[in-house]
Amino acid sequence: MTFHLLLYLSLFICLTGLVLKISTWFLYKVNTSENDISTRQRISAAIKGTAHIIFSKKIILIIKSFLMDVLLQKKIFEKNMLAWIAHMFIFNGFILLFLMHGLESIVSENLFYDYYSTINPFLFLRNLFGIMVLAGTGIAFFKRILLKSSRINSNKEDWFTLFIIAFIILSGIFLESAKISSYSEFQNMVEDYGEIDDKDEMQALESYWVKNHGIVSTNIINTLDKKTLLLGSEIHDMSCSECHSPAKWAFASFSTAKILKPISLSLDKAGGVILLWYIHIIACFFFLAWLPFSKMFHIIASPIVLMTNAAMQQDKFTPANLLNKQIIELDACTHCGTCNLDCSAIMFFESLQNQFILPSEKINFLKNIASGKKLDIKYLKNIQKGIYLCTNCERCTKICPSGINLKKLFANARDNLLQKKIPEPYIYSQLSFALTLENKFSDEHLEALKSVDLLLKSSFNSLKNINKTLSLKKTKALSNITYRSCYCCQSCTNICPVVGAYKNSNEVVDMMPHQIIYSLGIGLIDIALSAKMIWDCSGCYLCQEYCPQRVEICDIFYNLKNLAIKQITH
Amino acid sequence: MKKYALFLGCNIPIRIQQYASSTKAVLKNLGVELKSISGFNCCGYPVRNIDEKSFLFSSARNMALAEKKGFDILVMCNCCFQSLKIAKNSLSKDKGLLNELNEILAKEGLKYQGIVKIKHFLSIIYHDIGINFLKQSLLKTFNNLNIAVIYGCHILRPHEITGFDNRFAPSILDELVEATGACSIDWQGKLGCCGASLTGINDKLSTIILKEKLDDAKNAGADCIISVCAFCHIQFDTVQKNSAKNDELKILPAILYPQLLGLCMGIDEKILGIEQNKTIKIKKGGYAPPFA
Repeated sequence: MTFHLLLYLSLFICLTGLVLKISTWFLYKVNTSENDISTRQRISAAIKGTAHIIFSKKIILIIKSFLMDVLLQKKIFEKNMLAWIAHMFIFNGFILLFLMHGLESIVSENLFYDYYSTINPFLFLRNLFGIMVLAGTGIAFFKRILLKSSRINSNKEDWFTLFIIAFIILSGIFLESAKISSYSEFQNMVEDYGEIDDKDEMQALESYWVKNHGIVSTNIINTLDKKTLLLGSEIHDMSCSECHSPAKWAFASFSTAKILKPISLSLDKAGGVILLWYIHIIACFFFLAWLPFSKMFHIIASPIVLMTNAAMQQDKFTPANLLNKQIIELDACTHCGTCNLDCSAIMFFESLQNQFILPSEKINFLKNIASGKKLDIKYLKNIQKGIYLCTNCERCTKICPSGINLKKLFANARDNLLQKKIPEPYIYSQLSFALTLENKFSDEHLEALKSVDLLLKSSFNSLKNINKTLSLKKTKALSNITYRSCYCCQSCTNICPVVGAYKNSNEVVDMMPHQIIYSLGIGLIDIALSAKMIWDCSGCYLCQEYCPQRVEICDIFYNLKNLAIKQITH
Repeated sequence: MKKYALFLGCNIPIRIQQYASSTKAVLKNLGVELKSISGFNCCGYPVRNIDEKSFLFSSARNMALAEKKGFDILVMCNCCFQSLKIAKNSLSKDKGLLNELNEILAKEGLKYQGIVKIKHFLSIIYHDIGINFLKQSLLKTFNNLNIAVIYGCHILRPHEITGFDNRFAPSILDELVEATGACSIDWQGKLGCCGASLTGINDKLSTIILKEKLDDAKNAGADCIISVCAFCHIQFDTVQKNSAKNDELKILPAILYPQLLGLCMGIDEKILGIEQNKTIKIKKGGYAPPFA
């Protein structure tokens, strides 16, 4: 009764969750600026797209991808053997347990006419699958703790997922071990199935089970003589062995029962079997109900993404299906951190310690946008920095075991942030090179550049509106002091390709290179920091090479740029 | 011949794969063995405007990886080349920085010692293989092909750090180009800036600098322009093509040095990937001039 009540309740929550989650595939979008495509259009596009793939030759690609990418997890295998072993153990162990043991009345009993959970190979397999899952979670656990920990950012959900999976298996093992050692269970079984004539026979069977099958009983102390055991063995053969393989085949539970021997009797008296049974099924049902709302939902989303990737290139998607796929991709992310390990920007993260440089953390931001969550300005500023500190090398997209097109998602995140119009000084780096090549949203990019320009102008005193007297103090903020040797010959300005690029350079260039160096010499670093020229410097090092005084002009400009960014971001 | 760890950087693997494939093929012909090391990250160059430490540590991690595998690094992009060299130089001078770096690297079992050598592939062909040997490996040579070479800023400067060729009058690339029978013309922009570092920051300025170079090269009679840097090539190829729009006639073809060599060595054109160069037109049955 309780069992069915709990089962239907958790099934109901699970199904409702699935409907809710799947509906978000057609409701949410990661880019709020995209043209409006109605939910109806998105659903019909999805149906058409799916039909198009299924009823064409592409179905072969789908089947191949299902085998290679989904079942055999080729991508993880290629990248990281240990991760693959862990995932295969958890995935296969869990699925097989679910089918053989969880759905025994539906699957196993129909498939095997002689199925009985207490006989081999099922008794053994149940333990084997359980141990596989435990080994897998163990590896995953230690991988998250030990290996490259700073880059695999484990959050509460990651730990909880590992915990709940391990808990289900462990509670199952404890339940089975409690049953093995339980005297009351033994008595019930004897009553139901035993063909026993007298007390001696009862004692013989009990002795046999205590000796061989792990029962813990107070009755049996010194009666383990050969003759009794032989009798017990005969009765066992007649009454029990047909449905009971030796308990030691349940190797995990049998060993656990041995360890728990000192408390077995009191556990049995206290109704340990019932208690553990409740714990085990509640854990299982909780998992079922929780699945759609957790990262475990990837078991549905990831295969869809992997298989659609195999069947179709992303640029062939209709706009509606692209929107759909991106939301499925967000559900497919397991926060495994593989993308972080291969991220080309990894040392930016080590130096700047902004977690949003890591691709896996950017995905969390996109989940927030998609669900329409309100985000505070500090969070937005940090994520914006993370989004711009990307080399656009696309390695994350190539490596993602779930097949997520992170590059496209990040481009959408950038578009989203551009609309919020928060000036981002990091846009003034050569990382913008790749963005311009793609030639998309260039107007917004230009506007963003302008807003940073304004921010810089308003943050530092420029030469034009300075009203303070010369300080003539030494400029302490700069580590490179070669500017002190400048005697203002203007060689730097004369050779500068930026100055030379303009016919009217006097009007266009706000400060010439020699003026910037000179202003440092007279203690006016603020003016140097205000110069647009430092950002227009192409870093060609011609000035530095030609300086007769060996002033490291180009290096100093880099120093100034770093300093300006530090000052306006803090 | 020595083995090198091939450092591709971020641009080459996704934007100019033909640079990697042609270089690999050409160096294989010349007997240089290249090893690919998994786990290389960005050289740090693009982030130098923002944070010097991110820049230096990025390069340093790559060097530590190569040291662990016991290879010197072969670089194909000038910006990567200069970054690795600068990081090597800065870390040899600053013990505090070195310690900080190694603390970070220790988390993944790496240590930067400073023993790795950084070499541009031009140096390897010029110094280690030599012009004579190179010439022997060519099956055909070009006649009447005028090429404007651009060295690229970051292979030459700052000279104390890059140590490449003569700082004011370099000739390595000219000599290597002339080994193919082509003529390396005298022109103004040879040692200048391509403007790529300003693309995305100040597109207008970057385009002026690019156009100035292209005009100078064309006026000096160039049939095509050759660069040995990922940024230079993208600027002369992709950016030139994007900004030329419909003005196809004015386009100056941009070819990479290993592609030119590969053509002379008779390497399969698919491997050289010349059709991936956006500024080179391919005709049926061969290349359009000037490579016909």
